[in-house]
Amino acid sequence: MLGLSSSVCRRAAIITYEAEMNLVIHGGGGKIIANIDQDSVEIMTVDQGPGIPDVGLAIKEGYTTASDHAREMGFGAGMGLPNIKRNADVFEIDTEVGVGTTVRTVIYFQSGQ
Amino acid sequence: MAHSIKISYSACHGCVNCIKSCPTEAIRVINGSITIIKDLCIDCGECLRACARKALGLDDDDWELIYTHGLVEAIPDPTFFAQFGSFWYPDAARTALSDRGIDLLVDESEDAFDLAAYASARIIEESSSDHLPLISTYCPSVIRLIQLQFPELLSRIIPVENPLEIAAELWRSRTKSYAPLTLFAPCPAKITLIRDPIGREPSPIQHIVAIRKVVHTLMASGVKVSQFDKSLPSNWRFATWAIRGGETKHISKFASRELTVLAVSGLRNTIDLLQQLELGRFRGVDFVECRTCDLGCFGGVAAPESRFLSHLRNRHVETEWSLTPERTDELASMYDRTKLWKTREPIPSKQRLPLSSDLTEAMSRMKQMKAIFAEMPHIDCGACGRPSCKAMAEDIVREQGEITDCVFKLREGISSLANQILSLANAQPHTLKKSRI
Ligand SMILES: Nc1ncnc2c1ncn2[C@@H]1O[C@H](COP(=O)(O)OP(=O)(O)OP(=O)(O)O)[C@@H](O)[C@H]1O
Ligand code: SF4
Ligand SMILES: [Mg+2]
Repeated sequence: MLGLSSSVCRRAAIITYEAEMNLVIHGGGGKIIANIDQDSVEIMTVDQGPGIPDVGLAIKEGYTTASDHAREMGFGAGMGLPNIKRNADVFEIDTEVGVGTTVRTVIYFQSGQ
Repeated sequence: MAHSIKISYSACHGCVNCIKSCPTEAIRVINGSITIIKDLCIDCGECLRACARKALGLDDDDWELIYTHGLVEAIPDPTFFAQFGSFWYPDAARTALSDRGIDLLVDESEDAFDLAAYASARIIEESSSDHLPLISTYCPSVIRLIQLQFPELLSRIIPVENPLEIAAELWRSRTKSYAPLTLFAPCPAKITLIRDPIGREPSPIQHIVAIRKVVHTLMASGVKVSQFDKSLPSNWRFATWAIRGGETKHISKFASRELTVLAVSGLRNTIDLLQQLELGRFRGVDFVECRTCDLGCFGGVAAPESRFLSHLRNRHVETEWSLTPERTDELASMYDRTKLWKTREPIPSKQRLPLSSDLTEAMSRMKQMKAIFAEMPHIDCGACGRPSCKAMAEDIVREQGEITDCVFKLREGISSLANQILSLANAQPHTLKKSRI
């Protein structure tokens, strides 16, 4: 109805889902902001949680610090951030231990993905 | 996107049976008669089945004109042979019909369907497991449904041409003839396949007529097909494509490993299967065959015979399934030599026009649409001529309808108007004494 391709919708849904789960499981809650433009959508999650000490490590497939409780519910495969990165055209993490984490992604409507 | 459904405005009484039957919500009844939204129609034929007054028909070519014009070079759909009192063996039918001025392209059909099955088997075997299952291209209605509602599955459509068109091309390259070719079609979808091809140049077939008309002419002329002569080779594997599962069986015969295949027929099964496929189910399945018609093409709306009977007849036909090494070699060389079996271009997605070409405007209309929908009665009664309250709300924001098209909203409007009138009537001029009211 909006004229967006199904792949853009699929990618936005994956990113939002994974970022939202991280926000709840690791970030202790926060905000999801979506800015929709003529040619792109920006999805941001902002939290005031513990922050990520080693971003390089966190975006590696399989790296997780999820609790046993979260793992029991099927989360904590360490695939969330890599999945976000794969589906986004722009992927940025701004984080400080003890202050919080902001994950910013952009999907361009015309990107060949 | 074109479609091949013809509307008879004189027969249409404006009932709403057809709009409810349409799986893609493509039909509206406006000002007492039907309109079909071209971009949404998949030619499945459900509306023809739903209309008791026969206000919906097939938009095929003029059979009388074609038949009286001279020799008809005809591509018989696999369903053709079981439309008469018995199964007409293709070779026997060809002999009998040649006296009537119809040349059935039986040899080319055999080759084309064998080639399509062979090519499919090769492609499936060469695909990596995460690209499987692949989906059959045979039913054009399924392809349109995928374009419209399951664009994520487009990459799974097997790049093999429809064998009916391969047959036409084989005939042309062999005979070098320019004579027009006529397809005897069982459904509107195969009419549109020829008239408005997807992802290829114009079809090699020129005319299309409903099998129904051909069968009526032949029956009326009293044509008899002599009983099967057992000495003839029975390699009409192509005739089995008329039944659900025929295609997958044919493909499996050419595969060097055992294939895991699924074959479903009927609209509901097709939609369910595509939905599940989109969710990533069916790992381990190699190929899926979907037909929107019940029992397969025998259930097509342009096939005159009872689908149950034709299905029964076809099932009892002896078919040669073991292939000689010579035949396999022949197909292998056709596969390598010609690219006739290959689809020309990838099939594009065909979603409905967005609410506006401008994204901001489209989003604001979507919001409006949701607000309008929230106020509607949500009983999908159809009295507005739309298949559902949601479709009504969408038509309003597309400026193709008014809120008062909804009888309930109209009634609300009248009742509030009536209340206003009543309160106006109760308001009395100061010059009148109270007692006089
Ligand atoms: N918002 C956040 N705040 C703090 N830490 C985070 C946040 N998001 C991710 N992390 C850290 O990064 C790690 C990797 O995240 P990722 O989403 O890739 O995997 P996961 O959430 O552990 O598992 P999965 O997403 O597969 O269920 C997490 O385990 C966590 O340590
Ligand atoms: S199942 Fe066969 S008859 Fe029915 S629409 Fe598809 S191709 Fe046509
Ligand atoms: Mg995660």
